[in-house]
Formats: sequence, C-alpha cells, structure tokens
Amino acid sequence: MTISAQQETVFSNNQLSVEDIPSLQMLALLPISKKYRALNILSIGLIALALIGIASALRFQSFWSLPEGLLQAYPYVVAGIGALHSVWALYHFFADVRIFYAIREQDISKQSGLIFRKLSCQPILRVQHVEVNRGPLDRWAGLASLQVFSAGGEMHTFEIPGLSIERAEQLREFILAHKDIGAR
Amino acid sequence: MSISETPSNQTPNVTRPSECEPHVNVSPQPQTQGECSGEPKLRVETGGEWLRLSLISILYFTIRNFTNTAQGVIYAVPALAISFNIWDNLLSPEVLIGAGVLFLSTSISGLVSYLMYKFRIHNQHVEIHHGVFQRRYTNLPLWRIQNVKIERPFYYQPFGYALVVLDTAGSGKEEAKIVAVPEDYAEALKKQVLYEKAQHDEGDLDCLPDEALSDEQSSSFPTPRTRAKAVASSHSNEEVLNRRSVKDIIIHGITNNRVWIILGAAAPFYDDVFGLVSEWLADKGLQLNQLVGEQTVAWWQFGLYAFVIIMMLMALVALLSVGGALFTFYGYTLSRTGDRYIRRSGLLNKLEVSMRASRIQMITAKQDWLDKILKRVNLYFEQNSTAGQQMQELMSPNKLIVPSVTEDEAFALSQEVMPGCDLRGQEYQTISKRFITFWLLAGWTLPFAFFFTIGAVSSHLDIMLGTLAVISTVALLLTLRWWRWGIAFDDNYVYIRRGRVGVDYQCFEPYKVQQVIVKQSVFMKRKKLATIKFVLASGAVTVPFLPEEYVNKLADCVLFEVESTRRSWM
Repeated sequence: MTISAQQETVFSNNQLSVEDIPSLQMLALLPISKKYRALNILSIGLIALALIGIASALRFQSFWSLPEGLLQAYPYVVAGIGALHSVWALYHFFADVRIFYAIREQDISKQSGLIFRKLSCQPILRVQHVEVNRGPLDRWAGLASLQVFSAGGEMHTFEIPGLSIERAEQLREFILAHKDIGAR
Repeated sequence: MSISETPSNQTPNVTRPSECEPHVNVSPQPQTQGECSGEPKLRVETGGEWLRLSLISILYFTIRNFTNTAQGVIYAVPALAISFNIWDNLLSPEVLIGAGVLFLSTSISGLVSYLMYKFRIHNQHVEIHHGVFQRRYTNLPLWRIQNVKIERPFYYQPFGYALVVLDTAGSGKEEAKIVAVPEDYAEALKKQVLYEKAQHDEGDLDCLPDEALSDEQSSSFPTPRTRAKAVASSHSNEEVLNRRSVKDIIIHGITNNRVWIILGAAAPFYDDVFGLVSEWLADKGLQLNQLVGEQTVAWWQFGLYAFVIIMMLMALVALLSVGGALFTFYGYTLSRTGDRYIRRSGLLNKLEVSMRASRIQMITAKQDWLDKILKRVNLYFEQNSTAGQQMQELMSPNKLIVPSVTEDEAFALSQEVMPGCDLRGQEYQTISKRFITFWLLAGWTLPFAFFFTIGAVSSHLDIMLGTLAVISTVALLLTLRWWRWGIAFDDNYVYIRRGRVGVDYQCFEPYKVQQVIVKQSVFMKRKKLATIKFVLASGAVTVPFLPEEYVNKLADCVLFEVESTRRSWM
C-alpha cells in the first residue's frame, strides 16, 4: 500500500535522451577476493593429488597383480593427470582474477571469462530469492558465493563466487532490503 | 516482502469467495459479499472431510496402471529374452501363470489406487493423499496454482466426469491430479482457482482491460473496486479468436512431423508390428539380405526398390502424422475470456489449456520450408517454462500452440496478444559475416583437416570428396543461418529472426526480461562485435556477432525498460 502510494507521488516520466540511460560500459567493477584463485588452484591440486594417489595405490599394492600393459601405462597416466590439472589450474590462475562484480541501485552485474568475456546483469526487480553458498573449503577460507535466482531458471542462476563472507552477507541484505524484491 | 501488504492481499477478500461461486457473485462493489452467501451455488470447498473420487476413476487408474505395466514389460523383454529363451517356453505354465498374475494384479491395482486416493479442498488448499506403496501427500494452496487443465478421457465423456490437472509455477513434480470429479465441479474449481489467482496476483494490474481502469485513472494501483471489476470481466463470456478446420489440421500434420503422437501411443506394440512386417515381407518373397547380396539385381533396380520403399515409408509417415495431428488438434479453438487465452482441442481426449495474457513472455512464429511453400505459420505463445520439460510441447501448459495458421491470421493473432507488434515489417539488424568464418574455423576446420588428410594419405578419393561435400553443406547452412539471423527493436518490443531454411520470428516485451548477458571474445572485441543474450522466464534467446555499439545500446535500453517501468513479468 505504502509503496504503491509512494511510487505514485514520486512518479515522473520525463523524456530521457539516450545518453541519460545508465550504461553498462560505465560500471565500476570490483574484483572478488584474491583468495578465490588460491583456493581454486589448491583444490585442483588436491584433486590431482588424490587421483595420482589412487593410481599409485593401484600400482604399488601387493594384493593382486596387474596386467603388464597397465604397469607400463602408469607413468603416462600420472603425467596425463598432472598435465590436465596444470592446464586447469593455469586457466584459473588467469581467469579468476578477471571476475568482477558491480552493484547499481537497480541491478547487480558480473563480468567473467578469460577468452570469452561475459557480462551478465541481473535486475534486482526480477530476483526471486538469494542464497549465500559455502562449501567446506569456502568455509575454511572465509569465502562464500552469492547465488541469485530469477524466473529465468536454474540454467541462468546469477552467481558471484569468491566473495568474503561479510561481503556476501552484505550483498544479500542489500538485495533483500531492496524495495522491489518480492514485487516480481 | 513489504510489498505483500499491497492491496491485492487483503485477507477478507481472499477468503470471501470460497463461500460462493465467483463469477456470478463478484459484482463491481465488494460490499455485496453478504448476498452471495445466501445463494445456493456449487461449492468448491469440500470442508474438512476427506473425499473419495467417483467410481469411474477405477477405470482411469486401471488403464493407467496397465499402460505403466506394459511399458515396464517392454523394458523387461530384452532382459528376459537374454536370460532364458522365453519364446520357446511362451506357452509354458510358468509363463502363463506369471502373465496371469501380472494381469490380475494390475486389474486389482486400479481398485487399490482408487481406495488409496483421498482428497479435499479445505481452507483454500487442495490436499491429496495418494499412492499405494509410497504414500504421498500433496498440498497446494489455490492461489499458487498456475494452470488448470481439464481433461476428458473418452471413457469419462458419457458419464460427465473430468480430470483436473493443477500445476504450479514450480517444478513439474508439483502437479496434482484430481482424477475424477463431475464436470460442473471441475469447471467450478477452475473458476475458483482462476479467481484466487486474480485476487492474489499483483500481476493483474498491468494487464487490466482499459475500461476497467478508466474510472480510476487518478490512482496507479488498483483499489478493491477495480480489481473486483477486472475479475468479473475476466469471467464474462468467451470470444473465439481462432478455429482450425480439419483441413488446417491435415496441413499441419503434413508440414510438421506429428508421427510421434501415434508412435508414442503405439509404443507397447512395436515388437509385434515389426515382427508382422518382416513376416509379411518374407511371405512376399522379399528378403532384404538376399536383395543386397545378389549380384543379379542391377544397381538401378536396387535403387528403384529403395526409392519406392522410401516413398512408401514417407507416405505412411505423413499419414500417421496427419493422424497424430488430428488426434491432438481436432476441433481446435483458441478463445479469450477476460485476460485469459484458452485452447481446447482433441479427438478422443478433450484437452483444455488456459493461459493468462500477462503471463505470455514471448510469441514465436515458426515456419519450416514446407510451411513457407504453403504459407502457413505455427504460432506459439510461451509462458514461463520449467527447464527440462520440453517433451510435451503440444500438451504443455507452458506453450500455447496455434497450429498452421495462415500468415494473415498469424499477424492478427500476434497483434491480439502483443498489440502493435509486426514480426515481418521490421528492419532487422543482421549479424556479422564473421559468424560464418568463426564457426567454420573454430568448429569445423579440425575434423575437416583430419578426414581430408586421412583421405589424401590413404588415397581414397571418395573420403576426400565426401569431406568436401560435408564441409560445403555445413558452410551453406551456416551462410543461411547468418543470412536469417537478425534482431530489431522498437519502442515496445524486441524482435528476433532466425532459422536456416525455414524462418522463426520471436517477439517479446523488453520489460519482461529477467537477465541480460553480453558476451564478447577477445577476437570479437578486436572487431567490435558482441553477442547478446536475453534470459526470459520462457527461456533464453541469443543473437551473436552483432556490432558492439548496437549490443551495448540494446542492453542498456532493455535494462532501463525493466528497471524503470517496474512492471511485472507475470
């Protein structure tokens, strides 16, 4: 009631020139936490170690004998796991520092991507609910990711990863306190 | 949050209509509530008592369980056939007893399902207890229900019963079926649900008929009065917007492959049919492997055989497709009551889908190459979809299809839903030619080079020629796609044109956009190109390789439209 009434009293509809429309190009982009990259590389390292560990355990266990071919393949398997994970880690090394976000009065944006830069913009008016997600490693590092759901479906969940937990909570509060949320 | 205190949610109004049938009783003045409680209308609320369904539902459950069992058996057949030679023992007592037990238990299971099913509509909630081994309890608040479908399986029709399918905006799993209720009750329930929605939704307000607002122009939000009026008008008599004659449906069957409707229904009988066909062919002395193996048959003769068989198959497919189309679309009408569009169709099972006008996110006009020749268009009105539910395109309440309308009708219908939208009359901004080169280079060079080298090294001319043919077809298709793909926007709508041989037009209102995504690779940035993607509640639309400046302007304009108008997308 009050909101509609307020909207009415302040309602104006002046002509705008195209230059006056806020532009996405003018966004002041903020970087996400630096820990995020370190954490990603660390977890990739852990996965690689775990996989190599499994392979080594199979190789050097003495319970049953492996075929000769598999024994010969062992160094290549380890090298392959190492190479794949290094590429993966290298990607995160360069890509994670290129994740930025920005908040405006009416929307929240994220820029990400190494070769394909992607700038997505989520109007807060269309937000259906907000979640702050923390995995075990995130909790350990004091990080959180903010997930914003709209009616666009699961596929298009807007997510800002690698925020400090305070910042994530703050953003969540900002979105929830926004007067448009819930208005659909 | 705080907005929920806006007038649309006044509790006295919400609970009121449960006492009385909405569409007659709601008069423009909300003060008339007292009168309606006195009128003996069909009550939707069933009170605290749990109700059983009508007896006819046993038939429904039995048929449903039989189809389920048949499907299960179909999957089990290969396993059984492998594990022991079932065909040799087909008539052995064990198999017969097994089949008999299966048959009997399935027959009885209908009765059991019936006994285990209880429902009530109490305090504005639809509550259902169902399930035999796994008991389930469904509780749906009336105002959360998005769509109401009334189905009438043919065996219900003589007895005047109907099946009500209620679904919510959430997932497809949150669907509730009230399996057998009298038709009047189904209609009353539907009206009640629609009424609840209208009461509950703020979304209403944007799409009120003009006249309803005209006397309230001073205020931008609805008073209870305008709302009641809008609701009353939304239940006034229906206006039929479009009918499809049998001829139209036959055309639709030919131009669109609707074979699967029949194929899907016939799935339990596949094995038999294939068996019969091969036996029949063998009877006629036509052995396929003989045909291929024998050197005596000249290649042109063989080609002729193949051609004739393919033509026969095509004709059969077309015939089946026409049958499928008739099956679903027979007696198609699209009508409007108030702010709702209702589609009714079906040969044996009358199906009804209704959709609020304000819920429509996008109009899609699809034209295949055959449609283009016949100058027909399939028109879809799409509302919010839940991802992964694409299979039931025709029955789906998320897409309202108007099959094979003429181009003029398509124009008129799209004007009806989105006034002032002209799909064809736009100056489309086409995408850059780099789209073609990008996909050729990024996606197709490697396989091309690979196979071509294989051909060259092993000196097989046919492999090389084949690769060349494939790559040129791909290039041709990419070129066609580039040629079609374009975007346009005017004051009210964003239009997208796409397709390869056929053309699809899409049109949506920018204020319904949920999210805007601009993508740009490093190479695209150098060439000042960008890809834009709009996420709507009905799905996402992408237009790649547009001029960067254009994309930025469009993204800013659309976001401005969303954020400044604050109109609801529902």
